[in-house]
Amino acid sequence: MSITGGRAPKDASRREQQRRKQGELPDRLQAAGGMVPEAAAKVATATGSSEAAAFGVASFYSLLARPDKKVRVCTGLSCRMKGADEVLEAALAAGLDAEGCSCLAACDTPPAVLKDRVTLPEVTALDMAATKGDWTALASSSHRVQATATGITWTGDVGPADAAPDSLSINLLGEANYEGAGLAKAAELGAGTDDADAFFQELENSGLQGRGGAGFPAHIKWRAVAGQPVQERFVVLNADEGEPGTFKDRELMMRRPDLVIEGLAIAARAVGADTIYLYLRGEFQVPRVCLEDAIAAFEAAGLLTGLDFHIHEGQGSYICGEETALLEALEGKRGMPRLKPPFPVEVGLWGKPTLIHNVETIACVPGILARGGAAFRAQGRDEAGAKLYCVSGHVARPGTYELPLGVTLDELVEAAGGYVGELKAFCPGGASAGFLPASERTRPLDYKSLGEVGSMLGSAGVVVLNDTVDMRWACLEQLRFFEDESCGQCAPCRIGTRYLREAVDRDVAGTCQSNGDRALTHVDDVAWQMGEGSICGLGQIAALPLTSARKYFPGDFQD
Amino acid sequence: MIITKPTCTIDGQKFEFTAGESMLEVARRNDIAIPTLCHDPRLDPAGACRSCLVEIEGQRRLLPSCATKATDGASFQTKSERVEKHRKTLFSLYLTDHADEDSEGGQHRGAPNKLAGASKKFGAENWGKLTNLRDEIAGDRSADVNPYIQYDSDLCILCAKCTRYCDEVEAVSAITLVGRGSETAIATPDSRSLLDTTCELCGGCVAVCPTGAMGEKKPKTRNQPIESELKKVRTTCNYCGVGCQFDFNVDPDGRDGLGEVVKVTSPDATPNQNMDLPAGFSGVSSDGNLCVKGRFGYDFVHHEERLTTPLVRGADGDLHPATWDEAFDAAIAGLEKVSAKYGDDSLAFVSSARCTIEENFLVQKVSRVAFGTNNVHQCAAT
Ligand SMILES: Cc1cc2nc3c(=O)[nH]c(=O)nc-3n(C[C@H](O)[C@H](O)[C@H](O)COP(=O)(O)O)c2cc1C
Ligand code: SF4
Ligand code: SF4
Ligand code: SF4
Ligand code: FES
Ligand code: FES
Repeated sequence: MSITGGRAPKDASRREQQRRKQGELPDRLQAAGGMVPEAAAKVATATGSSEAAAFGVASFYSLLARPDKKVRVCTGLSCRMKGADEVLEAALAAGLDAEGCSCLAACDTPPAVLKDRVTLPEVTALDMAATKGDWTALASSSHRVQATATGITWTGDVGPADAAPDSLSINLLGEANYEGAGLAKAAELGAGTDDADAFFQELENSGLQGRGGAGFPAHIKWRAVAGQPVQERFVVLNADEGEPGTFKDRELMMRRPDLVIEGLAIAARAVGADTIYLYLRGEFQVPRVCLEDAIAAFEAAGLLTGLDFHIHEGQGSYICGEETALLEALEGKRGMPRLKPPFPVEVGLWGKPTLIHNVETIACVPGILARGGAAFRAQGRDEAGAKLYCVSGHVARPGTYELPLGVTLDELVEAAGGYVGELKAFCPGGASAGFLPASERTRPLDYKSLGEVGSMLGSAGVVVLNDTVDMRWACLEQLRFFEDESCGQCAPCRIGTRYLREAVDRDVAGTCQSNGDRALTHVDDVAWQMGEGSICGLGQIAALPLTSARKYFPGDFQD
Repeated sequence: MIITKPTCTIDGQKFEFTAGESMLEVARRNDIAIPTLCHDPRLDPAGACRSCLVEIEGQRRLLPSCATKATDGASFQTKSERVEKHRKTLFSLYLTDHADEDSEGGQHRGAPNKLAGASKKFGAENWGKLTNLRDEIAGDRSADVNPYIQYDSDLCILCAKCTRYCDEVEAVSAITLVGRGSETAIATPDSRSLLDTTCELCGGCVAVCPTGAMGEKKPKTRNQPIESELKKVRTTCNYCGVGCQFDFNVDPDGRDGLGEVVKVTSPDATPNQNMDLPAGFSGVSSDGNLCVKGRFGYDFVHHEERLTTPLVRGADGDLHPATWDEAFDAAIAGLEKVSAKYGDDSLAFVSSARCTIEENFLVQKVSRVAFGTNNVHQCAAT
């Protein structure tokens, strides 16, 4: 593990140097063993921050707050449908100090288990029993896992196997390429010079939308950062991938790290940044190695002169995928989203203009430049590009499938080997997208069409549920996730997520609220308040699993 | 050239403002009420409590007026149906997550609870009760042996005013938000007593807390009346020369009807129209900030050993009550005797740190003019 703080420019004030040193807090807390007595005092001295601030940070992140838990079993929907409960029970029965945790971005290989900080796929109850209480002995018996010199590696299933390379924006099965054709083309189009219009135009022509969730046109952010009067700028990679049902970024970083690093280099040159932060969730130890190798390969080819890459490990917090919470985490603080506006393009990391993108968005860039924006646009249907869809749950071959943006659920599941059982419902874009009923199976899975039915494509984490699933149970899982992962700074989300989960618990138990009202009497008002009053996207959509499940499957609830 | 001030429209009415003012500031200056819980003019806006959201024309989302700058031509609503529904449902959630007003914690600390008032005003309902694990997160606060401050997590609405005040104003950072989500609370590092942290016991966190969750221990242990039943008497702190303003809170029934100082609260620097001051001035240099002595050290006021009259040592070697004139005469006689016998420079004058600058000026006059010596010092000067 290396300590990555922020490096201030040489001429920066002492105060600024000090402020940036705080970026080391999470790493140093990890090195000090997490939230153990006196750890906060120790790291506070080393970073010049207050002890209280260090303590507050340690308590925020689940990997730091409970350092004794070396075994964590994913209790996300996809994993629980595949027996995660029994695996957790087996772990406790074997005498392991284990706990449940939020989605590990391995929903295609359930049940996923975190061993210290390494995610293991397809862990069974037998694997747990075999540890005999020694967490270091835990190993997955999955055929995917291979030993390497530095640990293990594994990948999920990807497809479609027979796709024509020209139809793909990423091509997960393609050969890694360190020649830098995209970088060369970017330079040719004037990226990073005063005359960069041709470059931005190409990006605009491609129609590339952010793949992290919101689908915001990429070129607008690039232009905005490049046009800022402030000269110190940053590029940040959002590889926090925490949305339940989503694992495409993991697969992409493991199979095509070349595209990620080249994309980042292009972005940095184009917006005039020389420092790039890669924010990986802490559970991504295996992808991290792949990225480091790719950086080394490009460096060896002499293509990264003047660029500084920092890898920052997350410490266990879904909300840090939200871009401003991520920036706070990079600055070594509790991951609480900032108020927007101002947006990061203007006031980002350490107050400087910052371009922040999802892994997949960034990885699309080299191809857009090498093959042209128009070719990229043509790879999608109504919206531009091919898209990595994650599909898990009740399908024959869960995995990551690169298909034209705008395929239907039926088309996607066909690529994944077909449905298992009778389709009842699906989440089109992770927990945040709520549930849609089987009747929406022919709706294009793109940003606009899904937005029209009050859902969203989000991170394209598609979870398929068949008719064996009780929607109240499924919704409870999602509510629990948001309750666990809310940052807690604003009341609508902090109180609302707990209220909704406890209300549904009461519905299950058949009990009333303490004031005599029926279990679900007030949930619509709570949901309304969360949508209107919350600071960030988490709280704004956290009621959706409940409101959508009640809308489409009222029979699964008592109240 | 005519310079026109920028204007914005609030609830259909146009108002001038100064660049840099927040929407909340413009509204309040014009007597348009907007509820706030996490706002304090001394702190950077956090926008966290969501009480002050307004509906701004052209914005999809409701935005916090405390953190949104007024812009020329902007128009916003503070009373629209959407804003009203927002307030009602938001305060309902707060109420649902909060200890009942008449429960033990609510009454006995005697601090005003802004949440209770706002909930009533906006028709908030209690929607049931929630599991509250904040105590587990914050650690056992009853174990904190500090004499003044107690945190009651079941009253806390996590507005973070206390932690932000401690950091941004006191620059102490003794307390922090801990945990996350619905299991967030306020705590000290490793949940230690405030006495074992950097805390200076300034009590600022108590003063800014809107609910009384960060409260004083004394009113609680002494079972004092609630703050609204106390009489406020503005005075100047006499512990040092800074001259902080504060209000003695007097229980009129205390000491058998003589009245008793039971608490000190600190007014902020809101411009004061009731005093004879230039416009925009408050007469309060301390802006609500006090130190531990001013805030908590008021027990001496009614202390039985407190001196209430000058004392002069008699020939018998004991101290005897005297009038001021007698006391001054005795002091002057003593000083003159020494200077007559040993010379002017045999005297030295040291004034107390509790003296104001005016008093210090007078001390050096006494020293230089009356006794002709430059041997004068003030104990806080080194
Ligand atoms: C609660 C929440 C969680 C998010 N998690 C992620 C994430 O894990 N990865 C990601 O790329 N974007 C995530 N986002 C979206 C980011 O805020 C941001 O929009 C994105 O990183 C921008 O990159 P893009 O333009 O490439 O999509 C999240 C947003 C919210 C509100
Ligand atoms: S909505 Fe939830 S996650 Fe977002 S800022 Fe508010 S409390 Fe934090
Ligand atoms: S008393 Fe003052 S120093 Fe102590 S925690 Fe409160 S605000 Fe901070
Ligand atoms: S103790 Fe008071 S000031 Fe501090 S967060 Fe709680 S309610 Fe706010
Ligand atoms: S890894 Fe278990 S649900 Fe995602
Ligand atoms: S006062 Fe504006 S959000 Fe709290």
